Amino acid sequence: MRKMIVVAVREYQAAVKTKAFIFTMLMMPIIWGGSIAVQVLLRDKVDIGDKKVAVADYTGELFDALAREATVRNETKIFDGEGPARKQVKPRFLFEKVDPAGEDPSRVGLALSERIRNNDSNDIMAFIIIGADAIGGGGDPEHATINYYSNRPTYDDVQNWVREPLNNRIREVRMQRANLDPKVVGEVTKYAFVGNLGLVSVDESGQIKKAEQTNELANIFVPMGLMMLMLMIIMIGASPLVNSVLEEKTLRIAEVLLGSVPPFQLMMGKLVGMAGVSLTVATVYLVGAYYAIRQAGYASFFPAHVVWWFVLYLSLSVLMYGSIFTAVGAAVSDLKESQSMITPVMLIAVAPMFVWINVVREPSSTMSLTLSLIPTATPMLMIVRQAVPPGIPLWQPVVGVIGVLLMTTFCVFAASRIFRVGILMQGKGAKVGEMFRWVLRG
Amino acid sequence: MNVVEIDNVTKTFGAHVAVNGLSLHVPQGSIYGFIGPNGSGKTTTLRMIMRIYHPDAGSGVIRVWGENFSEAASDRIGYLPEERGLYKKMKVRDILRFYAELKGLRDFKGAVSAWLERLDLSAWADKKVETLSKGMSQKVQFISAVIANPELVVLDEPFSGLDPVNADVLREAVLDLKKRGATVIFSTHDMSAAERMCDFIFMIHKGNKVLDGTLESIQDRYGQDTIRVKLDGANGFDPSRLPGVEKVNDFGRLQELRIAPGTDTQDVLAELMERGRVTHFELSRPSLHDIFVRIARPESKDVGMGAAGMEAVHA
Repeated sequence: MRKMIVVAVREYQAAVKTKAFIFTMLMMPIIWGGSIAVQVLLRDKVDIGDKKVAVADYTGELFDALAREATVRNETKIFDGEGPARKQVKPRFLFEKVDPAGEDPSRVGLALSERIRNNDSNDIMAFIIIGADAIGGGGDPEHATINYYSNRPTYDDVQNWVREPLNNRIREVRMQRANLDPKVVGEVTKYAFVGNLGLVSVDESGQIKKAEQTNELANIFVPMGLMMLMLMIIMIGASPLVNSVLEEKTLRIAEVLLGSVPPFQLMMGKLVGMAGVSLTVATVYLVGAYYAIRQAGYASFFPAHVVWWFVLYLSLSVLMYGSIFTAVGAAVSDLKESQSMITPVMLIAVAPMFVWINVVREPSSTMSLTLSLIPTATPMLMIVRQAVPPGIPLWQPVVGVIGVLLMTTFCVFAASRIFRVGILMQGKGAKVGEMFRWVLRG
Repeated sequence: MNVVEIDNVTKTFGAHVAVNGLSLHVPQGSIYGFIGPNGSGKTTTLRMIMRIYHPDAGSGVIRVWGENFSEAASDRIGYLPEERGLYKKMKVRDILRFYAELKGLRDFKGAVSAWLERLDLSAWADKKVETLSKGMSQKVQFISAVIANPELVVLDEPFSGLDPVNADVLREAVLDLKKRGATVIFSTHDMSAAERMCDFIFMIHKGNKVLDGTLESIQDRYGQDTIRVKLDGANGFDPSRLPGVEKVNDFGRLQELRIAPGTDTQDVLAELMERGRVTHFELSRPSLHDIFVRIARPESKDVGMGAAGMEAVHA
C-alpha cells in the first residue's frame, strides 16, 4: 500500500509538473470557448460596405415603404455604442427603384442579372422582383410572388431583413382595401405565447413558489457539457498511461521498479496517480465553470446536485479505461503498435457521444435506461440523465455504479495479468490472442 | 547462515532452458561473483533471486533469508539491473528520493547527498537524467540500488561501461557494503574484478552450473598446470612443439604454457634451457580468465585472448 502511494505520487507529479500538462489544461477551455468566442467576434466583424439591391415593384405600392424602413435601419440600427463612440458594425442596405416600364418580369430579371454579372462590386449585389399580384395574392402564381435574386446564395441578411417591412406594408394595404381598422385587427390577431415552466413547489414558509422559467438550452447544454468534460478528462487522465508504461518498459525502468514493488501495486500506483490527475483537472474545470456561470448570472444552472456523482463516475472511468491503457502499454513494444490497440478502446469510450442527444430528449425511456446501464457508457450517459430535470430514480445510478465497479474490477484484474507478463517482455509486442491467454492463465 | 538458497531450480522460456537444475547457496556477508558467457543464464538467475521471474512450477525453490520471500523482504534487497532504467525527465535527486521512498527509507536526504558526493555527482544532483553520460547514469543507478542500506545487494554487471577511475570507485563502494555487513551478489565479465573482490565465484554455462566455490578451490581443481616463461636468444622458437605442452599464450616477451597432466616440469625447463637463456620460469595456477575460456570455448585456439588474463593475474 505504501509503495503504491509512492508510485502514485511520482506518477502524479510526473504528469502534473510538465509544461505540456499545464498547456493542455489552459488550452482545452481556450480552444472550446475560443472557437465560440471567435465566431461571436467575427460575426460583428462583417464587411460593412453598403449592400445595394435593385427592386422592381410591379405593385407600385411596396417600394416606398421598404425604402423608408431601410432608411430608418441605416440611421439607427447598424451601430454599436453611443454618441461619439458610435461605430458602424453592419452594412447599410440601399434599395434602388427600378421602373419596370411595362416590361415582362423575366426580361427585367435578365437585364438586372446581366448588370450584376458585368459590373463591379460597388453596384447592386442582388435584386428583388415584386409580382404585380403580390398584395392580392390571387391570380397567376408567377405574378403573386416576391423573389430575391442573387449570385451570392449564402449571404441572406438582406433577404431575411426585407421580409418584415414588405409583409407589414402588404398587410397594411390589404386592411385598407378591406376597410379594416388596423388597430382592431392588431388586437384581434394578437399572438398568444405558451410559456415553458418547471414544476410548482412550496418554499420554506409554505408559500407556493412561482414555477421557474425553464431554459431549454441550459437543459441541453449542461448535460452535454458534463459529458464532454467527462470524456475529455478521461482522455487526459487515462491515455498518458500508455506512454508512461511504455517508457518504463523500453527504458527498463520496470525491472528496477519490480525489484521493489510487486507488479499489481506498481500498476495500481500508476492508476491511482492518474486518477489523481483527472480529479485535479476536474476540480479546476468545475470550479472554473461554476465561477464563469455565476459571473454570467446563471448560477442556478450549475448542476451542483450531480457533481459528486460526476466525481465518482470520473474516478471509476479513469481506473477502468486507465487499466486497459496500462495493459496496452505493457503489451506493445512501441508507440506505433499501441495505436492500433487503442483505437477500438477509444471508440468504445466515445460511443456515448453518438446517442446522447436521444438520451437528453427522453432521459426516462427504456432505451436511455438500457444504454446508460452498459458499464463502459454508464459514466457519461448516466450523468446526462441525472442532469436533465426531473432526474431519475436513485436506484438507477446506484445500479450503474455497481456495474461500473464490477467492470472496473475486471479490467484492473485482467490488465494486471497482462501487465505482469508484458512489462518484462522485450522485442516484439504481444498479439491480442496472447494477451487473452495471459488473462485466462494468469 | 545463507542469505540466498537456490535448490534445483529450473527456468524455461518456451522451448529454451535458461537455467537448468541450479543450486546455489550464498552465505551471509560474502561477495558472490557470477560469471559466464553472454546468454548463459546469469541475469535470469539474478532476476529469480529478485522474484521478477518465478522458477518453473514443479522445479526447486529459491529462499531468501530462509523463506520464499514476501514483499516486505524486498525492501532489504538492493537491485541494479543489467540494463539501466531511469526516468529520463526526472532530476537525479528526485529519482534517488523516489527509489529511497519505494524501499521505505524515511530519512534519505543525508544519504542521497552523501552518495552523490562520494560518486562525484553532486554537481549533477539537480540535472535531469537525460543530460547525464552513460557512466554517470550508471552511477546514479548504482546509488538507487544501495541508497536504502540493503542487507542483500544484487548487481547485474555493475562495472560494464565504466572508465577505470569510476570502476575503482564503484568497486570500493561494493567492498564497503561488505564491510558494513551486506551480502553482495554481482555478475561480471571483468575476471580481474571477480578474482580480487569475490569470496565465492559461480560460473554458469548454457544454464548449468559449472563452477562454484572460492577462487582457490576452483584453481586447485585445475592444479599447477601453467608455466610462465621468459626466454632470451631463441628467436623463432615455438614452445608448443615441446613435449607435454598443450597450449601456448604468447605475450611477446612472455609465454604462458599449459602443460598436460603428468608432464614433468623439470623436463620442460631442461628443453627450454637447450633452446636459449631462461630469464623467468614460474609454475602457477590458471587465471580465472583462463578457466573461463577453457570452459566456455574448449575447442578454441584462444589466440590473443590471453592478454587480459595476464593483466588479471598481475593486477
